[in-house]
Amino acid sequence: MAGRVVLSAFSALVGAFLLLPILAVVPAAFNGSSFIRLPPDNWSVRWWGAFFADQTWRRSLVTSLQVATLAAALSVVLGTAAALGIERLGGWVRQLALALFVGPVIVPVIVLAVALYSLARSVGLVGTTTMLAIAHTMLALPYVALNVGVSLAALDPRLRLAATGLGASPWHAFRTVTLPLIMPGVIGGAVFAFVTSFDEVVLSVFLAGPQAKTLPVRIWEEIRVEYTPIVAVAATIMIGLAVAAVAASRVIQRRDA
Amino acid sequence: MTSVRFAGISKTFAEVEALRPTNLDIPSGEFLTLLGPSGSGKTTLLNICAGYLTPTAGRLVVGDRDITNLPARTRNMGMVFQNYALFPHMSVFGNVSYGLKVRRVSRPEIERRVNNALAMVQLEGFANRAIAQLSGGQQQRVALARAMVIEPDILLMDEPLGALDRALRKDVQLQIRRLHLANPRTTIYVTHDQEEALVMSDRIAVMRAGSIVQAGSGRDLYERPVDAFVACFLGESNLISGRVASVGGGKAVLNAEGLDVSITGRAAPGLAANAPAFALIRPEAVRLIKGGIPASVIERVYLGEITAVRLRLPNSQELWCRRFAAEVPDIEKHEIGWDETAVSILPDINPGKRSVLPC
Repeated sequence: MAGRVVLSAFSALVGAFLLLPILAVVPAAFNGSSFIRLPPDNWSVRWWGAFFADQTWRRSLVTSLQVATLAAALSVVLGTAAALGIERLGGWVRQLALALFVGPVIVPVIVLAVALYSLARSVGLVGTTTMLAIAHTMLALPYVALNVGVSLAALDPRLRLAATGLGASPWHAFRTVTLPLIMPGVIGGAVFAFVTSFDEVVLSVFLAGPQAKTLPVRIWEEIRVEYTPIVAVAATIMIGLAVAAVAASRVIQRRDA
Repeated sequence: MTSVRFAGISKTFAEVEALRPTNLDIPSGEFLTLLGPSGSGKTTLLNICAGYLTPTAGRLVVGDRDITNLPARTRNMGMVFQNYALFPHMSVFGNVSYGLKVRRVSRPEIERRVNNALAMVQLEGFANRAIAQLSGGQQQRVALARAMVIEPDILLMDEPLGALDRALRKDVQLQIRRLHLANPRTTIYVTHDQEEALVMSDRIAVMRAGSIVQAGSGRDLYERPVDAFVACFLGESNLISGRVASVGGGKAVLNAEGLDVSITGRAAPGLAANAPAFALIRPEAVRLIKGGIPASVIERVYLGEITAVRLRLPNSQELWCRRFAAEVPDIEKHEIGWDETAVSILPDINPGKRSVLPC
């Protein structure tokens, strides 16, 4: 009994350690004064108005959404295809392919950033939404491939045989049998990809430009100049979107199951 | 014409020969069962027919068409899988109509044919049910309807009744048999259950270690097995070991080890004088007679109309005898005999290794 109390208390402490720094930002966004301060001096939505009145903040939020959507779409298509391909491999080739796909997660992001920066410069893509989306896709791809891979491993391979035996082409069998059944994995991968892109900073700092600046980069620039609650507003928006994306995926996955 | 011919078909997986070069002709409309223990190559042969596996060598001819290299989806065969492989995200209707939608059959025609197929397997009114709502027996019938509704040239079934309980299995066996007799369609059925094979098949091919050992009607296999493996796989067998004393004119004489009598019977192919061999005497052929070989009772099993008696011969070999219960007196010493016509003399294919036999 006492053990349970201690365990609960300890768990609560760990939870607080993980969550409080994130949650502390939310009241800070509703501070009426010009400084980030906890608890807020007086409650106000003044800085929310300031955020949406400022064209540069608005633009970076839109850019972030565009880049994350594009990166999620790209990595879902490529990652699902990769998972399907890897599943058909055997032995050491499969291990090698898996290692290659997990590579971008293991390589220090800064190394990737420098490499991508020089590449983007040589093809004139620095400071474009396209380049940001491509770079984020590299980071998000492994999550999609792994997520879909788990779904595929749980799929009875005879279902595909049954479909082809009934006359379905490989593409038709994929569309009507495989894809609906691995959809939970695809959706999970897509959300992970979206969130990964949405809060990515290191690659974005290197690859962003005046025309394409994501929200985290804008926060980073702002915070070096001024330390106003508008940063807390941006952070709160990011938290809200990430939570909404994960919650939505859970709802869809539950409906599918 | 939907006859099937396997001509020298073989399959090797990573240097393991799952199927040795195999020849088999199945005439149009025949219900053929591949019967054998697991690992005997029967499912491999079935999957090669379906196009799920490419043979390492040989040709597969359906009618007068060589389809060895044709992809599965163009073969027009209906497959019923072990554990059914129904699409779990579709309704019964979605599953059964799948092959028709792929063939771009019109919607009213699909509805008509799906309803007919469901009526055929006695599942009228189940079209909108989810697969998870069905019992095992119902799922099995949906799988059968899904395979039959496309009017396949050949119906393939891979141990489709394995997951059903015994009573239901017997029911479905007879149902499948009736459907086949009403509309004979070339069918290849895989099972390891000898009773199932006997109930349903026109012909049975017994497989062992990647080869067909013997193919014939159930009666052929039961009464004239080519070796002890086939004898043990179909029905119950008493095997008395010994050496061939003489062979000729379709008959052979066996000198049984440790018995004063010699046993005469039909000679299976491959017998040579003085070679090790078995005498096969089915339990129902063992008769209790006066003046026969003395045998003592080890145990007696009452099976309703039949009583099975386990007997010990003077050479200490054991033997089962099955007689109508009323014919078996309640005594501890019997004298036994048999009709020569009920005995087969079979070559011992693995001398000294009786453990490889399934009995």
